[in-house]
Amino acid sequence: MTVQRLIEMIGIPTVLVTVEPEESAQARPPRALCPEGFVAGHTLGRPNDVALQQWIVMEALGLLLGAPAPGEVIRRSFLLPPGAAGEV
Amino acid sequence: MAEKPTLEMSRYCVPFTPFRGRLEEGSVCLVSTAAVHHESDPPFELDGDLTYRVIPGTARASELRVADAHYDHGCVDQDVNCVFPIDRLVELTREQRIGGITEKHFSLGFTQALRQLRDETLPHLVEEVRRTRPDAVLLTGG
Repeated sequence: MTVQRLIEMIGIPTVLVTVEPEESAQARPPRALCPEGFVAGHTLGRPNDVALQQWIVMEALGLLLGAPAPGEVIRRSFLLPPGAAGEV
Repeated sequence: MAEKPTLEMSRYCVPFTPFRGRLEEGSVCLVSTAAVHHESDPPFELDGDLTYRVIPGTARASELRVADAHYDHGCVDQDVNCVFPIDRLVELTREQRIGGITEKHFSLGFTQALRQLRDETLPHLVEEVRRTRPDAVLLTGG
């Protein structure tokens, strides 16, 4: 999104959470996370699922610390492995 | 003398500002295109709106509303954190996993007038973001 690039251009690091990775990649985002399986309307996970929403937020903010991949949208799954406690 | 050429960033070029410091000490600002507004502020025009709303850092998701007709509101009607995770950032601050949140956060509404948005609205929005002095900005769509 254009606003992300403009904020980055004035010297503030940014990270985008998007559920439309193809569209977002066309805008060449400085950093972007796509939580797989979610759609517009619950980009940050299911309603009232505090743990899941916190997980996605921290993964997104974690991109600030990782290896740079400017222009790419990093896709991650937020499903617990089968059999894990609290499976969703 | 020839007219001074205007240089514009190519869309193939990606601006990149390194994050310095630690998340545990960083202040985070939320910027969204999900048409979120505080309940005390006017809603966005549904068929196109070039304005933005300021959302105070003291606001909680229960005080926020969504004025949009372009994505399914089944989830946000229950919990605005689905697109604007302000309560989550407050919790993460309390848990000292991030340093804090800024005094102001921002949301845009729906528009198809993208050139006008870029040339007229976004410079003001970006300047307001700068004034909140965030260490990082978390952006969310609808």
